[in-house]
Amino acid sequence: MKFMHDAVSILRKDILLEIRGKESLSLMLFLSLLFLVIFNFALDIDKENVSLLASGILWVIFSFTGILGMGRTSMSERDEEAYLSIVFSPVSAESFYAGKVLSNLLFLLLMEAFTLVFFAVLFDFEKIIGMLPQLLPVLLLGTLGFALVGTLFSFLATASRYGEVLLPFLYLPVVVPVILGGVSSMDIILNGKPGGPGRWLQIMAVFDMLYLSISLLLFRYIIED
Amino acid sequence: MKTNRIIIFLFLSLLILMPLDFFLIFRVAPTERVMGDVQRIFYLHISLAMAAFLSLTVVFISSIIFLWKKDLKWDTAASVSAEIGVLFATLVLITGSLWARPIWNVWWTWDPRLLTVLILWFIYIGYFLLRGGIADRFRKAQYSAVIGIIGYVDIPVVRYATKWWKSIHPLLTKQGGGLDPVMKKVMFFSMATFFVLTVFLFLFRFRLARMEERLLILKKRMED
Repeated sequence: MKFMHDAVSILRKDILLEIRGKESLSLMLFLSLLFLVIFNFALDIDKENVSLLASGILWVIFSFTGILGMGRTSMSERDEEAYLSIVFSPVSAESFYAGKVLSNLLFLLLMEAFTLVFFAVLFDFEKIIGMLPQLLPVLLLGTLGFALVGTLFSFLATASRYGEVLLPFLYLPVVVPVILGGVSSMDIILNGKPGGPGRWLQIMAVFDMLYLSISLLLFRYIIED
Repeated sequence: MKTNRIIIFLFLSLLILMPLDFFLIFRVAPTERVMGDVQRIFYLHISLAMAAFLSLTVVFISSIIFLWKKDLKWDTAASVSAEIGVLFATLVLITGSLWARPIWNVWWTWDPRLLTVLILWFIYIGYFLLRGGIADRFRKAQYSAVIGIIGYVDIPVVRYATKWWKSIHPLLTKQGGGLDPVMKKVMFFSMATFFVLTVFLFLFRFRLARMEERLLILKKRMED
């Protein structure tokens, strides 16, 4: 009970920080919009190919924009060693981690919703909004994987002298199964490919559970040094 | 002193084993029917892969023991093993590519096995980037142990995911089983040689790293 309560307090703190400072989510939204514009030039998207390209474009945007956002939220903890006041409070390392995962998850999902809407508007692909109920489990499992790994690794990366720049090098190779699962299952859903996304959702769920358990075991070593 | 003697012994045996291994590979092993001489690269490729896997397993185990015991000796063991693992993994990718050019007609293909090794390689490059970026000795050890553990656990998931990803596409090749008995023996000898090489490199590098650390401590004491 206390575990969840503490985690939600951390989440509330991050939401408040975002409302006051607008440092993480707003940056992510702008970046994803920029990505959409660049992809438009780079791939020459039109009505014929949009459905085939959509899942690839969207997951590239989710991965890279997510790195920026998660790097930011952990940087705000490292600034002036702010996280130390949480470490010294009665909040356990595990609930601190859970709270940061929740806030990263929330911001990432908001960014993804925003990106999906703008994708539909800019590329005339309203179909994707109608398919949201089917896409929801894909987005949830994929984003949970991003948040679980990203929260852990952004704390590692921001402690080094390279700062957030190091995050993609640590994070991207590890989340390959999630990106693969996200792209493939979204592609299957959008283009009605045979087989259904079930197997991919399983892979993402296994990955999420594995990372949840490892991170809960290891996170204390990252903040209690 | 005892380690010194073991290192010298391993070095001397490698002076015999390595040339013998190459002699067996190029002179004794029969030429493969379909692939011809190119197949000989397998003896090195598979031995290197085994050595890389062995080294990264040492990284994983040493990282766990470090987090448990908090003894920097284990971090040194993990980091020198990671160096050896990355070296061998790089050679695995290069030898694989050299073999693939004449046989598959491409330098690279997005086969699950290749992709898994490439991602493994990226993870351990990240391991060194992180180590290079943290000055505090203990923190460096603690953080890289986290990567050492996660990277190792991630590999089976990557392997499974990429396999499933490719299984939707047609399979590019299937490797034929059933090795000739002489080939088998040469393969075994080659793997044994590379096992000795890995142990030698590990002990040699580990001793060097420990000496570097001792030197650093002495220097600091002199300054004080």
